[in-house]
Amino acid sequence: MSNHIELKGISQSFEINDSKITLFEHLDLSIYQGQSYTITGPSGAGKSSLLMLASGLEQVTSGSSSYIQGSQIGPLSDLRTDSGFIFQQFHLLPELTAINNVALPLKLRGDNQALVKAEAWLNKVGLGHRRDHKPSELSGGEQQRVAIARALVFEPKFIFADEPTGNLDQASANEVANILFDCCLENGAALVLVTHCNELASKAQHTFLLANGQLITKANNTQEVLSC
Amino acid sequence: MLATNFMLAWQFYMQEFTQPHQRLLRWVQGVLLLFIVTLSLSSHSIQEYLQQNLQGLLGADAVISQKQPLSAEQLKEVSLFVDKVAMTQQIQTMLTYQGNWQQAQLKAVDHQYPLQGELVTSTSLQGIGETSLSGPEVGHMWIDARLMASLSLDIGDEISIANKAFTVSRLLQHEPDRLMEGHSVAMRAMINASDMQQLGFSNDLIRYRYLMNANTQQIDELIAWQQENLPAAVLHHKQGKHPLALFWQRTENFMGLASIILFFMAAIAIEQLSQVFMRKEQFFSAVCLSLGASKSTGIQVSIYKWLIGILLLIPIVIVFSTAFHWLIINFLKETFVNLAWQWQLPSMFKPISFVIVVFAIFNAPVWFATYRSSIAQQFRGKQTVISHWLSKLCSILALCIVAFVYSDNGLLTLMMVSAIMLTIALMVVISWGSLTLGESVTQHVSGLFPFALFMMKQRLLSKSTQILGIGLCAFLLLFTLMLLKDLGASMSAYQRQHDGNAFISQASQKQMSFVEDWSEEHNIRIRQVKPYMHAKLIEVNGQSLAEFSDKPSESLATLSKSIRLHWSKTIPTNNRVVEGRWWQEKNTNWQQVSIEQEVMTDLGLQLGDELAFFINNKSYTFEITASHEFKPGAGSITFWVQMPPSALTHIQASQYYMASIELDEAQWSLLAPLWQKFPTLRMVSLKEITQRFDKTLAMITKVISGFSLMIILLAGVVILASINALESKEKKKNSVIMSFGFSRATCLKLNIIEWLVTAFITAIGAILGTYIAGQLIYQSQFSLNYNPNFIWLALTLLMILSLTTALGVWASRSSLKSSIRQLISNT
Repeated sequence: MSNHIELKGISQSFEINDSKITLFEHLDLSIYQGQSYTITGPSGAGKSSLLMLASGLEQVTSGSSSYIQGSQIGPLSDLRTDSGFIFQQFHLLPELTAINNVALPLKLRGDNQALVKAEAWLNKVGLGHRRDHKPSELSGGEQQRVAIARALVFEPKFIFADEPTGNLDQASANEVANILFDCCLENGAALVLVTHCNELASKAQHTFLLANGQLITKANNTQEVLSC
Repeated sequence: MLATNFMLAWQFYMQEFTQPHQRLLRWVQGVLLLFIVTLSLSSHSIQEYLQQNLQGLLGADAVISQKQPLSAEQLKEVSLFVDKVAMTQQIQTMLTYQGNWQQAQLKAVDHQYPLQGELVTSTSLQGIGETSLSGPEVGHMWIDARLMASLSLDIGDEISIANKAFTVSRLLQHEPDRLMEGHSVAMRAMINASDMQQLGFSNDLIRYRYLMNANTQQIDELIAWQQENLPAAVLHHKQGKHPLALFWQRTENFMGLASIILFFMAAIAIEQLSQVFMRKEQFFSAVCLSLGASKSTGIQVSIYKWLIGILLLIPIVIVFSTAFHWLIINFLKETFVNLAWQWQLPSMFKPISFVIVVFAIFNAPVWFATYRSSIAQQFRGKQTVISHWLSKLCSILALCIVAFVYSDNGLLTLMMVSAIMLTIALMVVISWGSLTLGESVTQHVSGLFPFALFMMKQRLLSKSTQILGIGLCAFLLLFTLMLLKDLGASMSAYQRQHDGNAFISQASQKQMSFVEDWSEEHNIRIRQVKPYMHAKLIEVNGQSLAEFSDKPSESLATLSKSIRLHWSKTIPTNNRVVEGRWWQEKNTNWQQVSIEQEVMTDLGLQLGDELAFFINNKSYTFEITASHEFKPGAGSITFWVQMPPSALTHIQASQYYMASIELDEAQWSLLAPLWQKFPTLRMVSLKEITQRFDKTLAMITKVISGFSLMIILLAGVVILASINALESKEKKKNSVIMSFGFSRATCLKLNIIEWLVTAFITAIGAILGTYIAGQLIYQSQFSLNYNPNFIWLALTLLMILSLTTALGVWASRSSLKSSIRQLISNT
């Protein structure tokens, strides 16, 4: 049995000015390594919160969550070392060149081959020629490609991405989306992606719509394609 | 529009009030304003006190003072200008009584004394002072309470000077002309002028003072007459500056150097904070512009906001500086009797305005950058290269203004600034060198340490600014503490090692040959003997000294009086020539001198300048052919002005000697008969030196401790400011690291490693800087041989390391509170 994340009957709510706001209740979700998932829905539906819960960064208000590795069942906090993130704002470190940004997680792990592997990943995302450029010298699409390479270079089993194409134009968004899905597939990593864009969502193997506190599974390639 | 912008500025100020960058700026501005205002208030009180008390304290409208009596003809001429003249004679002498001895200032007064003011005496220590209309009668002596206690005398006792007996009849409480004699802590005794004649002291050992009643016009005439007929005499008058006021002015100027250091640290702190301010102001300005407002709106709001911050700070500064002023006045009452604290609101405005101008210059780059950059640049908040260098330039400009306003000792200021510049250069080299080396050596090693080095190397520019800021603070703090410690320990140790334990500051030829015979007879070792004659500098290149240099300095103050002129065939063993050439034995030109380097710098003298000295009523011109400096290790008797021995054949003047001797415990009792025979022999024992030294040291300790506290406070603020400047970057870095699957503990470890490396570089830089400053300043300014204690330095290194790391990690705790969620929500 492959590694997977199990969320059962989870609810998330918070209080603002003594009034309780419930984002969603009694949701069930399983995320398997090697599969791709997208969560769409209107603003304020709780997509990012669900992403945080699934990645173990936040605790659920009620329900259970676990990380299952083979036959071993553990808490979601065990997922931390096996997961990587991709952000809408890229969040590359501005002082570092592209190759050093990608090499960062490997260097932290003490990998002596960090630069060699980083270069290979930069080539994979088509930025081998921009290895010595700093983020300020790269376009938005290029920055996000560097961020993808950085998130995948240490071979995490799960990738969580929040609106990775939200800051990009249509052409760059498509390019980045293709690279992201291809790289995750190639690496055998699960991809959990939150987006507003239905076109991007359609690229995933599993698509969910989070609206009115309900998580609805959508059949792939049947929804209307909208411009993102 | 202005009112609207002001309201907007007020609103933003209140919103940002609790934010760290605003809080830190308030601390920096508050500490500096407090220091400068308190200093100005204290000095103003002293000056005002002296001004108010001048009339009653001068004892005369004008005083002519010189080493010789006025001739009958001169006295007659003087009498034409003034209404009344009284003469006093003063001599430094050693009084002995039943085996006790004490150096004192013996003053003989004539029947006209006192001319103005009150001569107050009493008949017992606790007695109420009575006004005496004239001085002591023949055969009587009045002495002050300290001398009485020192010699264990009582009223009615008999004391002998050179075999003449005097009856101690009254206790001297106040002499009206005392302050005109200059600031002196010598113990006092007064006798009748007729007795002085009988004691038969050599004329050239006596200082003659002529007190005169004169109106303003008469004083002007007297000044002209004195310049024409008695150029070497010193003339004090009501229209001139008070000697004590000048003494205080110099002390105040010394504190000015402290101000430069504090301003330097403030500049570092404000420079670090300006990075945050620049981002915020530029962003606000961009928002204004995008909403159709003019470019000036953003600048106006920024300036108003800055002004509001300063204006709100002023009342707090006024309250605290008033309290500190009150404490200082109470502390100074020991020196300035009857000094009273007064509310001085108007005198606060000048220093406050001055500091505000300096702060405005420090802050100018923020306004300039906001004004210059385009909307696009402002949204990015990116500092342009011009504003980066403008920021540095403004700091340097402000520091130059401060140095110019406060500097008293040009050489000391130059050395301090050089030491700071060298430290900066050193720390830049050490930061770059160690991080580059560290990164390349650990490139193939795994672990957090190599990663920390790699990250620091990649962020070298922002890191080095932080390292420089903290390193400079550590250097200034370390130097101040070292000065405090070494002034006491090494100076006294040095004196004991090289100078013997008794010091003769003035002995006539007859006295010196007797001392030599006496030493040989009692097997007492004379360590050094150096001859000199009195000379007064009257002209430099044909200009009077006052015309040539009007910048107050220690050198100018000393050269305004008679100095000791030494002669030596070869370079003295405790001197080294730094400029020009020392005279050769066969050189027939006797009209050349070597001047001490610090004096050259202070007065702006150059090789080839011509100096006219007045020696024994004759003027002699010398050319400066060399400049020398003190070289420690061969005794401390050194002279500012030295000439070839061949000059002696052309100059007829009394010769004196300075000497140091070593006495063992049993030989101290031999001094009493020596002083009995030569009461004018000026000799101080080590006991006396130590006492004087300890008193000075206690005073310095208090001043430096207070000053160190200010530096520690500002150093803390600088560290916090540098962390604040990098906080957003640090937060982001930590969040990104956590997004790679690492825990907060890893970030903490990385943070500790980074701070350890930072602290290590700053500590090395600070210690090297302190060493350089020690080498530069100790020898030249304190005549100390700088021998750093390496155990002390290692302990200090450890202390700086742990304190900086602890403070850095503690202050960075907010950047460790970052999370991946912040990265996700940071859209």
